[in-house]
Amino acid sequence: MSTPKPKKKFSRRKFIVRSTVGVGVAIGATYFTRPLWRRSIAGFVNSAELPYNGSTDEPRLWFEVTADNEVILNSPKVEMGQGTFTGLAQIAADELEVDIQQIKVIHAPTASGNIDGTSTGGSTSISSLWQPLRELAATMREMLKIEAAKQLGTDAAALTVRDGVVAHNGRALTYGEIVKNVTEWEIPETPPLKDVSTYKFVGKPVPRVDLKDKVIGAPMFGMDASLPDMLYGAVVRSERIGATFVGADTSAAEKMPGVVKVVKEPDFVGVVATSQMAAEQAKQAIKAEWATERNWQSEDIEAMIKVGQGDPVTIQKTGRAKRILDNEEDVVTAEFTSPIGAHAQMEPNGAVAHVEGDKATIIMSTQVVNLTRQEVADRLGLAPEDVNIIPTYLGGGFGRRLHTPNAVQAAVLSKAAGKPVKCFFNRREEFQNDTFRPPTHHVLRGVLDKQGKIKAIEHNLSSGDVMFGSPMFPGIAEPVLGADAGAWRGGMIQYEAIPNFRTVSWRVKLPFATSWWRSLGLLANTFAIESFMDELALKAGKDPVQFRLEHIQEDETGHRLREVIKAAADKAGWKDEVVNGRAMGFAASTDARTPCAQVAEVSIENGEIKVHKVTCAIDPGIAVNPDQVRAQCEGSIIMGQSAAMYERMFVKDGQLLPTIYGPYRMALMRDAPKEIDVVILENAEAPGAVGEPPLGPIGAAIANAVFRLTGERLRSLPLAIA
Amino acid sequence: MTISFNINGQPTSLEVDGDTPLLWVVRDMLDLKGTKFGCGKAACGACTLHVDGKAVRSCSYAVKYADGKNITTIEGLSNGDQLHPVQQAWMEEIVPQCGYCQPGFMMATAALLSEIPNPTDEDIDNNIVNVCRCATYYRMRKAIHRAAGLQSKNAKNQPS
Amino acid sequence: MKKAHRAYLAFSLLLALLVFGFSTPRPHPPEPKLPEKSKSTAAELTPEQAFDLMMEVLTHKRCVNCHPADDYPRQGEDSHIHNFGVQRGPDNHGVAALQCQTCHQSENNNHAGVPGAPEWSLAPRKMAWQGLTRVEIARSMLNPENNGGRTLEETVHHLTEHELVLWAWEPGVDANGTPREKPPVPKAEYIKAVKTWAAGGAPIPEE
Repeated sequence: MSTPKPKKKFSRRKFIVRSTVGVGVAIGATYFTRPLWRRSIAGFVNSAELPYNGSTDEPRLWFEVTADNEVILNSPKVEMGQGTFTGLAQIAADELEVDIQQIKVIHAPTASGNIDGTSTGGSTSISSLWQPLRELAATMREMLKIEAAKQLGTDAAALTVRDGVVAHNGRALTYGEIVKNVTEWEIPETPPLKDVSTYKFVGKPVPRVDLKDKVIGAPMFGMDASLPDMLYGAVVRSERIGATFVGADTSAAEKMPGVVKVVKEPDFVGVVATSQMAAEQAKQAIKAEWATERNWQSEDIEAMIKVGQGDPVTIQKTGRAKRILDNEEDVVTAEFTSPIGAHAQMEPNGAVAHVEGDKATIIMSTQVVNLTRQEVADRLGLAPEDVNIIPTYLGGGFGRRLHTPNAVQAAVLSKAAGKPVKCFFNRREEFQNDTFRPPTHHVLRGVLDKQGKIKAIEHNLSSGDVMFGSPMFPGIAEPVLGADAGAWRGGMIQYEAIPNFRTVSWRVKLPFATSWWRSLGLLANTFAIESFMDELALKAGKDPVQFRLEHIQEDETGHRLREVIKAAADKAGWKDEVVNGRAMGFAASTDARTPCAQVAEVSIENGEIKVHKVTCAIDPGIAVNPDQVRAQCEGSIIMGQSAAMYERMFVKDGQLLPTIYGPYRMALMRDAPKEIDVVILENAEAPGAVGEPPLGPIGAAIANAVFRLTGERLRSLPLAIA
Repeated sequence: MTISFNINGQPTSLEVDGDTPLLWVVRDMLDLKGTKFGCGKAACGACTLHVDGKAVRSCSYAVKYADGKNITTIEGLSNGDQLHPVQQAWMEEIVPQCGYCQPGFMMATAALLSEIPNPTDEDIDNNIVNVCRCATYYRMRKAIHRAAGLQSKNAKNQPS
Repeated sequence: MKKAHRAYLAFSLLLALLVFGFSTPRPHPPEPKLPEKSKSTAAELTPEQAFDLMMEVLTHKRCVNCHPADDYPRQGEDSHIHNFGVQRGPDNHGVAALQCQTCHQSENNNHAGVPGAPEWSLAPRKMAWQGLTRVEIARSMLNPENNGGRTLEETVHHLTEHELVLWAWEPGVDANGTPREKPPVPKAEYIKAVKTWAAGGAPIPEE
């Protein structure tokens, strides 16, 4: 038996419910388009704590108590590997006074009424829900106590609660027993939260709540979904950049065995068949016609991504960096580049859709349940409330599922076929229709004073769009922000004790989709800045760690950065010398207020860079689950290493290539460092970002080590030694 | 054509186009969804299962070859409730993140341990070449060594 | 200027449509060109000419990719090291849990683009051809130390009847669905050439 439906109005609590971020942005647009404002907005965006933005603060839409005393936590955030479900379970268990084993976390379908308004992304799930979820859980606990008091005929204050059992004078009721007899819930004001130091689960390395299921192969991903009588769909897509659909000859496909229906829409053509293979083969038989304006090549793209082209916006400015650097002698200038990156997540994008009359159900892996629902509703002409998005575990997210046109296509096919349809990308489509990490170009300039300290530094970065053009953000965001906050993420100078520093972001619109890729601009921007810091340190004749410490300002942000730098260097036994053919490289970054420093131990073997060990110090504030903080660091380090050392998409004759793992080389077991040592500092009073910040330093840390081994400064990703 | 095989100990017989990839038979006809589709080109290893005890990438394995053979998928790797040492080690090291590639890795590892009970790091590097985008490789390596230990401990405890 | 611009746009659009209008089928590689000599029938060839013809095949990547001089199979038209660093292993069939048969079966899989043939494996290291000249390949092929103790007759049998060798003329498609390039001599002519060469005493020209 589950929690009864509410019968009584409840009081509002502190937890704020917003509709969309667009509203605030739209109001801002009128006023904030002048350069100075843009800079302060950029500064704000860089350091802001993003609040949770969801549809409901009704505790019973978050928690469901079952008869066997289990609490189901309806999570509006999705689990894509980052461990959010486990963190949320820990937070809820502590305030609910249940054992972690009693909590079962599930994805909230949109029909539940508990809908995340923005996305699961930006490393914000735990940090943004830290306060609201504790308040909701504490409120739910008090609601259960109030009910228990009524049922036991006593005062709620006299009750003790432990492991979901409410007791008084030797009599006890489980939460499950309490909810059975509730006729009317009384919802109190938010009770005071417990002291963090008293939490039993928060702060402990409890095993992931999805561990067992993921070890026994229990079905749970979007691609594992099926519905009775389900058919299989496939959609024909162009393989060329910038192609628009003209039409298609489907006569051959229509006659093929297993084909149920060929679906022609103004913008695409698809096929529905009785099996995956039949759908795939029928798709191959469709002759689609596309119009393309240009035969793009890699050189065309590289020529576009150049500092000095497109629209510049100064996003950070202290002192007179530009004037000094334009006039001083002995200015160090260096250029860096990064390539187009693919998400390459293991589970392809797709959806299972069932459209019946004026209702639609979509089961899929998505990071944007609300946007997915809106887009499906718009296409089918339905009210959003009539579309139920059922999110599943994601076979990797990394930002790839922040736009889900696959849901719309599956829904259209289902509507046409009158049956449930499962429609997924094949791997080639996945690679060619990715929303790529944009390529970048960076120009760094710096000059030292007589004491060998940085007098002025400037970072100019050119990038394709990340945030701009994303359906997640209204177009109005562009004039407000001026510069793409995704592209310049990690691009600001974090050493604020430097008297003169400046960052300029140049926007380039590319002919193919570029968008959110785990950590956004952080990977490329940190590679450029932290490689350059190393060059300046060596020019100054100083130890790179000491050199960084010399340029950190005296404030809280500076303190936290300084501590991770010192911790990483200490733990790694930092030495700026080559020992037994191995060298260390150092780098640090601050992303979404989480500072992270890394030391990479590297050698050259058979002409290839080999990373043996990475030491990582990170300060995410409160580490809700230290084991999963570690896991995110380990994964980010290797994913970052993979992107920095091996990965690269190129453009040839209008196509984005390669289209398969292998040729799109990624780190494998043999490439990953055999030692990863993670130090967690907790110099903030709330949990902060974890899932992306540790992707920052690794590229520069490796490149800086390579310089010590070969004397060659690598300025392009993927790193390759001559 | 009619194809018959044992899957996770169950005799199974079905009518199917012999060129259908075993992966789709296992997932869509037999509803065993633990074996994953990653690339369909034998490149990523997410679809790894065992045919007669050997690791096979089932997306590129026509079902006709499976006739008369023994197939094991992740669902059949454990012995009832008793997890396979590889699964046990995966639990103890808390390996999975998103989890999508993990069945393929565990099946590849189980095949490795049946050939090389105590693999060196180099053996692991050479034999386990599946792709994990969450990049859980660091913990997987630890788990593989741990699984080797658990397996030999189990073997010793077995009554002779 | 404006008019010209529009005309150019229209023209390029038309061109684009013509060139890129259809996503499938993909362009096929050019038909293999026969060497001049093979225009006469193989039966008329001298053993020396037959040798040349045979070597057009044996030095082709469809053969050499599986006769590497190291422990890594090659693949593709550019003979790159096999993806994922796949290795030879102790018996040329791969390593313990990453056997050739983990991915390669007894026939091509044209859904996946994974090639296959019976006994899919690498030639033993002693039969390495990669980097050898035609003359060196021939010497190695006839040397019992390198060829597994085969007689000339057995070598001819391997070259003309072994299914894995003859796979070169039915190489299927790659992961992109693009047909693999075949050796530059048709199979029948190649077989005749091998036999003519052998019947003529298997002469190896001077280097």
